[in-house]
Amino acid sequence: MMQAIDPNLLLLGWLIRSTLEMSTPLVLAALGGMFSEKSGIVNIGLEGMMLMGAFTAAAVSWYTGNPWLGLLGGIASGGLLAVVHAVACVTFKGNQIVSGTGVILFASGFTTVMLKVVWNAQGASDPVTKIPDVYINPIKDVPILGTAFGQMSPIVYLMFVMVALSYYVLYRTPFGLRVRASGEDPSTLDTAGVNVDHVRFVAVVISGCLAGFGGSYLSISFLGFFGKLMTGGQGFIALAALIFGNWTPIGCLLAGVFFGFLNGFQNTIQILNVPELQLYLNFVKMLPYVLVVVALAGIRKSIPPKAVGTAYEKEAKA
Amino acid sequence: MTADESSAEVEVPLTTKPLSSLDLLNAKLYTWSFWKPVMWAVISIVLSLIVSAVIMLLSGYDPLLAYRTLFYGMIIQPDYALYFATPLILTGLSVALAFKCGLFNIGAEGQVYMGSMAAAIVGYAVALPIVIHPLTCLAIGAIAGGLWGFVPGLLKAYRGAHEVVTTMMLSYTAILFTQWLATYPLREPGQVQLTPQLPAILPSAAIPNVVGNYLHWGIALAIVSVFVVAFILNRTVLGYEMRAVGFNRDAAEYAGIDPRRNMALALGLSGALAGLAGAGEILGNYGRFIDHWSPGIGFDGITVAVLGRNHPWGTLLAAIFFGALRSGGTFMNAVAHVPIEMVGVIQGLIVLFVAAPRVNDWLAKSGFGYAIWVKNEPKIAVPNLAALVFGVISSVLALGYCTMKGLGGMFIGLYFLVAIVGAVSFGMTLSKYRRAPFIHVVLCMLWLLTGAVDSLYLGGVSFRTAAVMSIAGFMIAVALFWVRSKKIKEGRCQP
Repeated sequence: MMQAIDPNLLLLGWLIRSTLEMSTPLVLAALGGMFSEKSGIVNIGLEGMMLMGAFTAAAVSWYTGNPWLGLLGGIASGGLLAVVHAVACVTFKGNQIVSGTGVILFASGFTTVMLKVVWNAQGASDPVTKIPDVYINPIKDVPILGTAFGQMSPIVYLMFVMVALSYYVLYRTPFGLRVRASGEDPSTLDTAGVNVDHVRFVAVVISGCLAGFGGSYLSISFLGFFGKLMTGGQGFIALAALIFGNWTPIGCLLAGVFFGFLNGFQNTIQILNVPELQLYLNFVKMLPYVLVVVALAGIRKSIPPKAVGTAYEKEAKA
Repeated sequence: MTADESSAEVEVPLTTKPLSSLDLLNAKLYTWSFWKPVMWAVISIVLSLIVSAVIMLLSGYDPLLAYRTLFYGMIIQPDYALYFATPLILTGLSVALAFKCGLFNIGAEGQVYMGSMAAAIVGYAVALPIVIHPLTCLAIGAIAGGLWGFVPGLLKAYRGAHEVVTTMMLSYTAILFTQWLATYPLREPGQVQLTPQLPAILPSAAIPNVVGNYLHWGIALAIVSVFVVAFILNRTVLGYEMRAVGFNRDAAEYAGIDPRRNMALALGLSGALAGLAGAGEILGNYGRFIDHWSPGIGFDGITVAVLGRNHPWGTLLAAIFFGALRSGGTFMNAVAHVPIEMVGVIQGLIVLFVAAPRVNDWLAKSGFGYAIWVKNEPKIAVPNLAALVFGVISSVLALGYCTMKGLGGMFIGLYFLVAIVGAVSFGMTLSKYRRAPFIHVVLCMLWLLTGAVDSLYLGGVSFRTAAVMSIAGFMIAVALFWVRSKKIKEGRCQP
């Protein structure tokens, strides 16, 4: 059976699989960024929260041997770091971008120090227990589908669930309405008797949890270990995906999958090992960044939430 | 962040004599608005050192030894500290200049790379006389970095593209682009190293060392740049217009200032400073362009600018402080074996504390408020004070148990939860939140739970502590609720 398959078809299946795997952390972190920015708080610290999630997930999985507990730990630690961001920006009305930068700096330093403490390692941790992949046996031998979906991390499927869930929460629940209102027009929300700071605080924490989720995927599902600064700018690409996706869940999904496709495409080129293509690999890598700049420069109009980036100050009590 | 508070409230004495800049400085030294940010920076540094000490304690390092070696390392090698500070001064100025115009240049790293690449190319490919060569390289580097900053500046000014995103994206683009240049077209022929690099620059282009093995004359360039940036910002029309745009864009526009032109120019100048930093490092330190050579000096520039309150002189001091921290960190790593990344943790915490200036106000106000409260109404305040102390002790104790080796994940998780709830209880009690007593009760129950789990599954590692803590906690809780019921009776508190 195997020898009958055209290698090009195998490659196509592999590309689909690679795209989905690469886009999962991006989409999850972009969804996180969406919750935060929809509520009016810029979360540039996604990168740091992902890193923190990746580290904690690996550490918990290593200590307990249970990757699902690791996943919980990763989500919680991302949320915890987001609490710091929320306290700085929401409670104390600090500068959101400066605070986000602090979050990234802190997480980069902290996880590297802890890598030394927990595994006594410089670059990469010991292998940890991974989340078991989901096998779909009936389609294992189908040409393209088999390579693409035969064996897949459950988090990839969970990612689609999270997109649907985010859509539901944001557009079909009172809480979602409040989140959107606090990003568009906080003073009206305040007049309606809702505590803007509470809504924003919760939204930022959700944002950190989702970013931690994305980071955990990297360490305990995709690779199976924690590496120093392993997110490598994916938090920023997620931020770009968020802007590219116009601050909507579906947009985040599409943009994340598109950027994931570019990453998967790179991997495919590397596997093909054609020297002519290899030469221009860096330009393929640049594509997402350049595209975002071009998109922002006005080929496609993107509309951020109106009140994003500004702290909401209640008028002083008389 | 953008408001130039320090120069806004200088009192001008009524004399007929024209004021010299020394008089102005003298007058400044007596104003609170000058000292407040300085105090705030110092408090942030102290707070972040305290938090880092807790982190070190938890990860099994000795914070006292670490800080002793850190501070010792900071002062024994001033040339090493200045060597680290040299690029930081320039990138810090770069970020600060953009900040003054209300722009956040988060992608200085990319401008550093573009500048360093341009300088390295001119350094090895063009033969020039001895003094002219490095100066040409620096100028070309500054121009390259400047152009890389000017593009997002133009996009921000005329297309409204947010500079935080565009500079970040262009930063990654620059790193990938220079990597490509170093890997394929310009790679050193016959090179065996795995890291792609360019040929070494000609000896005529190198910047000589001032003293010792590290410090090169780039430091003089950096200090001159501080003068120049301070002059541009405070003494020229351009600088005035930039600050006006940064302070209030609409007001500046009504006053006849073109905000677009100033924004584009500010990011361009900012990029030029970052490019200068990269060029200086290549000529004075690395001697050639190496792929991924920068240890994040562009990103550290943000830290420097934030701590220096975007003031040129503040930036200089902050850069020297961080340079010293880096050199002390190397010493600390060698002697106390604390990883050098601990310095990164300290930096991140400093930025977080500086980002939220009101934390300090809040701490001061709550602290004083508590002291007054305890004095005026001891019967009500003392149980609260006890709960406050209880929260802190719980947090510290629980974190201590978290780091004990060889325990199960559930145990560590439980104690981590106790630590978090302890911290929350502390914060809520300090801010006199209405529902703080309930959080306190939750904390006591968690102690009880951990004690039970411990005695059942782990053989009582911390059983005695947990028992004592939960009993003490419940006693405080009874006092708290008694006080609360009294307050409700008197109508001073909602049920």
